[in-house]
Amino acid sequence: MPQREFDITIGKDGNVELHVKGYKGKGCLEAIKMFQQIVGEIQSEQRTSEFYEPEEVVRFNIEQRH
Amino acid sequence: MTPVVIAAWPAFSAAVVAAATSLGYQVAAEATNLKKSAIATQNAAGKIQMEIENSEVMTNQLGRDQRIAVTKGGVTITFSRDARGKASLCVTGEGHDKEELKALGQELSQAVVQQYVYQKLMDEMRARGFNVIEEETNADRSIHLKVRRWDN
Repeated sequence: MPQREFDITIGKDGNVELHVKGYKGKGCLEAIKMFQQIVGEIQSEQRTSEFYEPEEVVRFNIEQRH
Repeated sequence: MTPVVIAAWPAFSAAVVAAATSLGYQVAAEATNLKKSAIATQNAAGKIQMEIENSEVMTNQLGRDQRIAVTKGGVTITFSRDARGKASLCVTGEGHDKEELKALGQELSQAVVQQYVYQKLMDEMRARGFNVIEEETNADRSIHLKVRRWDN
């Protein structure tokens, strides 16, 4: 049973930093899309070394639209 | 005191109330008939009008004739939606210069956006079956959440 986990930091200005765990391939992209719908456009993306392992870990910064 | 009517625009006003109370403000009034008293205050005091950065995420929640005012230490901050649909705020306060008023407005408007995003994320995460397993407010006033779900 896979574990899905999000580490979310909401900055004092409302920008969101997201750490995604437990999504593979398209599943990860869908998870990111879901966050875009909730809080806004992606400002930057950083794939950690774990991204290329079977279980993905990806960091995203999501910025509110001005 | 003017009755507080939150049901008409719940998400935005909830964010305003949460952010304002966390910074020591009190809700002064919320209604469509706030205009007259707000204008009277503005004429007698320093005043600054600002847009809320990043407000597009929440403008749909705010009707054009709806306002909410919060006060602290003689400063009144009134939130409304401008003609272009962007949320804005008016900061008034006697004995405060424009820079002070601007700083207070920016501090509160950022906190409102943060609270709005927090509430929206919590609602959406719970709706998708995630449980909040960690939640803390850091010294820099950022909010950290860890949510988890086990899939079949």
